[in-house]
This record gives sequence, structure tokens and C-alpha cells, in this order.
Amino acid sequence: MEQRRQSFFSADDANYLARAEAADRANEYLYRVLDIGQYMLQSGAEISRVEDSIRRLCASFGAERIDVLSITSSIVVTIYAPQFGAVTQTRRVAGQQYDLHRLEQLNQLSRRICTQYLSLEETEAALEEIRKTPQYPFGVQLFTYALISASFSLFFGGSVLDAVASGLIGVVLRYLDRIIRSTEANAFLSALICSCLGGLLAALSVKAGLGESVDMISIGNIMLLIPGIPLTNSLRDMFTGNTISGLLRFSEAILLALAIAFGFAAVAALM
Amino acid sequence: MDNVLQLAAAFSGSMGFALLFQVRRGKLLLASLGGLLAWAVYLALGPVISSDVPRFFIASVVLTIYGEILARVVKCPATLFLVTAAVPLIPGGSLYHTMRYFVEGDFAACSAQGLNTLLLALAIAAGMIVPTSLFQLIRRIRVWQAKKK
Repeated sequence: MEQRRQSFFSADDANYLARAEAADRANEYLYRVLDIGQYMLQSGAEISRVEDSIRRLCASFGAERIDVLSITSSIVVTIYAPQFGAVTQTRRVAGQQYDLHRLEQLNQLSRRICTQYLSLEETEAALEEIRKTPQYPFGVQLFTYALISASFSLFFGGSVLDAVASGLIGVVLRYLDRIIRSTEANAFLSALICSCLGGLLAALSVKAGLGESVDMISIGNIMLLIPGIPLTNSLRDMFTGNTISGLLRFSEAILLALAIAFGFAAVAALM
Repeated sequence: MDNVLQLAAAFSGSMGFALLFQVRRGKLLLASLGGLLAWAVYLALGPVISSDVPRFFIASVVLTIYGEILARVVKCPATLFLVTAAVPLIPGGSLYHTMRYFVEGDFAACSAQGLNTLLLALAIAAGMIVPTSLFQLIRRIRVWQAKKK
């Protein structure tokens, strides 16, 4: 017994060091892989895409067994290979900033890593470049909010005046969104504030003679605020086998949509 | 005339969402065209089917096929086209009216309108699932065949 124990502890030192070093490297790679997974999730990827990308990336740097679990707010990965043993990392993912362009870039990057076996430094540099890619300037975003509101006000049968009013309210909502974002209020509170103020402005603009129907103005703004990406993604998640995430995201999106419609309708009924 | 206006609004509305989600250049146009396509299918089915639910379903199937094919042609995630093109189908108006009835205390009208909203949402969802599953199946079969060789 004593002898066995000794042989266990007097393992070949060089071998042990090599293994520890390999584990260190694996940890560093895994950290980058989780960065990619996190950014993907935040910019609006479906769960299956995130898990699939992580699996491929880990396989590309030599992991033999990869167990990934991702839900909407967390990623857990354990990889195993004889050279470095089992390595686990988890990542809490908070805050979403939908950006389909970034998602596309991340997707390309992960393909590139898998086919060209980028080094750690190259991966880092590419990630930094993606992080630095500018979003559309604030002016374009204001225009976007107005465009969406006005289009859907017309789409659902509003007059041209309604569309103009809805567009203007859309611009106000963009400013409001910026203020609320800076206070880091939760999504429901911010949706309620936005929708109540939107409803109020819609009612006021009809009273002031700009716009004819409170309903049509509000509908344009509702379409703007409704969580479209989570809704479509949650359905795709559920039917690709990621039921937990699908349900999580689905109920979140439905509650948000209800809160938004409620805010507008409540103000419209009160005025 | 109404239809032309709606189609134009569907196009610009989808483009708005594509901009909102940072879609760039050429894909911006493709994504907006998806929204136009979805609503065109819905309108074209008008004379054939009177009920909204199957029309939404078919429109959703067509736009998903459009998105999945484009994703393979221009090599980018299908989500990019699906999310933006599905926007005109989202029953925002119906949802608003549901809540309006609810707030006014007209619960009979609220539940009828609410059911309608729910059915439309389900129709869109079901429409997305069919082509997505088919495309997945095709991919799996291809992978399996490649492994066999």
C-alpha cells in the first residue's frame, strides 16, 4: 500500500509539468472561445449556433470531448483531451445588444479559426477588430426609429399625418431609450416607461391636430418596440431542441410585448 | 392602391429593422425585399384563402425558404434575413387592440382578439419551423453521406 502511494506521488515531474502547461494553454484558448460565444449570444444568435460554434472551435484546437451547455444568460463548457485533462469554464452573459453585422463577423471568424487554425494572438487581434467595428451613427439610428414607426403606422392603415406623428414620437423614444439605458433599468421597466410616454405623446399629438388616430400612431411605435429578434429566435431555439432557452426567451419576449401594448393602450384609454 | 402602399410600407419597415440591427449594404436590400416578399405572398393569397391564419402560415414558409437559401448563397446566418423579413407579419395591430379591449374592460372582445393574435403568432412560428427542419434534415443527410464515403 505504502509503496503504491509513493509511486503515485513520485510521478514523472517533467510529464506533470507538460500537462500543467498544456492545461494552461487550453484554458487560455477556451477563454477566447467563450468570448466568441458570449459576443454571439449578445448580438442575437440562436442557442444552437452558439453551442455549435463553441464545439467546432474547441475541436479545432485539439479537444477530444466537448460538452457545451448554453442558455440565454450563461455558457458552460468542459473540454477534455489526454494532453491536458479536463478543463472547465463558465461565463455569465448579461446584456444584449442586437447587432446582426457583428454576428456575421463572429461567424466568419469562427469559420476562419476552424479552417486556418489561427493562433491565440491572431484570434485576439481579429476579436479586437470586431469589437472596434463602429455601429451606425446616432443620426442614422434616429432616422431608423422614425422610419420604422412611420412605415408601420401607414402599414396598419394610418393616414400620412399619423405616420408623421408616429415617426416624430419614434425619434423621442430613441432619446428616451438612450437615457434609460444609461441608468441600467431592467427591460420591463424601460418598456413600460417607453410605452406609457409613447401613448401619452400619441394622445397629445392628436389633441394638437398632428395625426388623426391615437390607435394608428401607437401601433407604429409598438412595432418599433416589440422584441422581434427574441421572438423569432426563441421559436427556432425550441424547435432545434433547446427547449429551456426557447421557453425562457419566449416567455420574456411575450411578457415584454404585453407590457408594451398595455402601456400604450392604458394611456389611450385614459385620455 | 392600398396594396401598393402596404407593400411599400412593408419594404421600408423591414429596412428600418435591418438598419436597427446593423445589417450592412447589399444585405440591407435583400433583407428589406424579404419583408416585401412576405407581405406580397400574404396579399396574393387573398383571393384564394379568406382566413388570415393559413395566409400567415404560407407567407412565413415562403420567407423562411427565402432566408435559408439566401443564407447559403451569401454565406451568413439565416437569422439575419428571417428576423427582418418576418417583421411585417408580426401582429402588432392585433396585439394593440387586444390590450385596448382589456384596458377598457371589454373582456369578450379582448379574448376574441387575443385568440386571433395568438393564432397569428403560432402560424408564423409553424411556418418557420417547417422549412428550417427540412433544411436541417438535408444538412444531416449530406453530413452522413460524406461520412459514409
